[in-house]
Amino acid sequence: MGNLFIASLIDGLLIGFVYGIAAMGLSLIWGVMNVINLAHAPIMALAMFGVYLLFVSLNLNPYIALILIALIGLIGGVIIYYIAIHRVLSAPPLSTLLATYAVNMIMIGLGTAAFSTTPRNVNFTLGSIGSGDLTVQGTRLVAAIVATVVTGALYFFLYRTRPGKNIRAVANNRAAAELMGIPSSRVLALSFGLGTLLAAVAGGLIATFFPFTILAGNAYQLKSFVIVVLGGLGNPIGSLLGGLILGVMEGVIPIFMPNSWVPVLEFILFVIILLVRPTGLFGAKK
Amino acid sequence: MSILEARDITSGYGEVQVLWGSSLNLEEGKLTCLVGGNGVGKTTLLRTVMGQIHPWSGSIWFEGRDVSRLPAYTKADMGLIMVPEGRQLFTDMTVYDNLEMGATNPRARPKMKDNLERVYEMFPRLKERRDQNAGTLSGGEQQMLAVGRGIMADPKVLLIDELSLGLAPVLVLQLFENLKQLRDLKITILLVEQNVQMALAISDYGFVLAEGKVSLEGPSRQLAKNEHVRAAYLGL
Repeated sequence: MGNLFIASLIDGLLIGFVYGIAAMGLSLIWGVMNVINLAHAPIMALAMFGVYLLFVSLNLNPYIALILIALIGLIGGVIIYYIAIHRVLSAPPLSTLLATYAVNMIMIGLGTAAFSTTPRNVNFTLGSIGSGDLTVQGTRLVAAIVATVVTGALYFFLYRTRPGKNIRAVANNRAAAELMGIPSSRVLALSFGLGTLLAAVAGGLIATFFPFTILAGNAYQLKSFVIVVLGGLGNPIGSLLGGLILGVMEGVIPIFMPNSWVPVLEFILFVIILLVRPTGLFGAKK
Repeated sequence: MSILEARDITSGYGEVQVLWGSSLNLEEGKLTCLVGGNGVGKTTLLRTVMGQIHPWSGSIWFEGRDVSRLPAYTKADMGLIMVPEGRQLFTDMTVYDNLEMGATNPRARPKMKDNLERVYEMFPRLKERRDQNAGTLSGGEQQMLAVGRGIMADPKVLLIDELSLGLAPVLVLQLFENLKQLRDLKITILLVEQNVQMALAISDYGFVLAEGKVSLEGPSRQLAKNEHVRAAYLGL
């Protein structure tokens, strides 16, 4: 029991890091421009396929592939922003939700046509550490490390660099940012690009240890909502901690009760946080 | 020479027309005030000049260029900077970050160090609180920061909306003194004020706005003596 508990805890923590950066992508876009990106899930799934295709066809190391996919995610996000978001941003709030939902449907349709719904997996391993019950897969460990580095980099970018501060300024007061000479549309496009980059990195990392289909992102998108509410909007560290909490819940709960209880408890937590502390456990923003 | 000119502006929000043909011009290096009662369109005129809302008709000229349709951020790059009503700070960011955001435009960036020194010298309180979030400052400190952020943008023309609103009289006096210092640094200033008496006392030239039109203009000293101004705005 003791070993099993520790093993589940470690498992949960490691996957929690990846949940964290998936949620960071959603949280960044939501926090900066008040848009809930429902295309988050297929972006993650397409990134999984991206890593898979580069691995299978070019025999590229998945982590090198991940860097390429992250860049494509950034550029793709900027393009999605200008095509689907920019013009509806000042329309009534639900318009952006519908716009991202449309992007979601298009991506899933194209993905299904191109890849069918047969599960794929990236046949890649980094071995494992430990023995017996206490075994940790190398790919999961690397994923956790990558996620931590990405969180740190994002934090540094947002709080220490000028383009990052521009993003925070536009999120905080868009009109004032424009008065200071910050072209807010470009900043919003960059923010959307960064949000999709984070989704792509999360998807690419997951592809190194779980099989997936074009619909695989949906589960992570739902978790991301819970995490964003837990961690507070627009706060990278909050998202990471929220991801870890959710990961641990997922690791540990199945020891005590059937697996199907996991989402029930997660969403009960979601509602409780919304009611009791709507700014999130680690958020300060109204 | 006039550096900024608004010609016959009409503008408003949605269906509601606020400005009915307002014209004003700012002479370079002068401190000009725009006064008038509540709701006559002072803020709307500033926002239209800045490009936050587009003029319905009329034109805006900055340094001899037609800038009527340019967005606010382009005008900021050209040196036309507004300190908006209600301060509009980046409340979740530190005092220093707010000032740094002021120095966004390419003209201001190389002068950031000098301008920062100038702002800290003018408002020592801001230096003390540089690492504090702007949202935690008192009302007066927030107004200092809003003006400081404007100075960081290295403005050729600084538009200030309601400098004195809601501030203690001592502080208002100090801020008005600061404006004179800025004018002496060759910054052209347009001050929008409800405190008509003080605005006329420190400015060189004044415009009186009533019902969406400029009803009177002249050297501030003469306006302060004008019968109509004295009766309507100074309560004399």
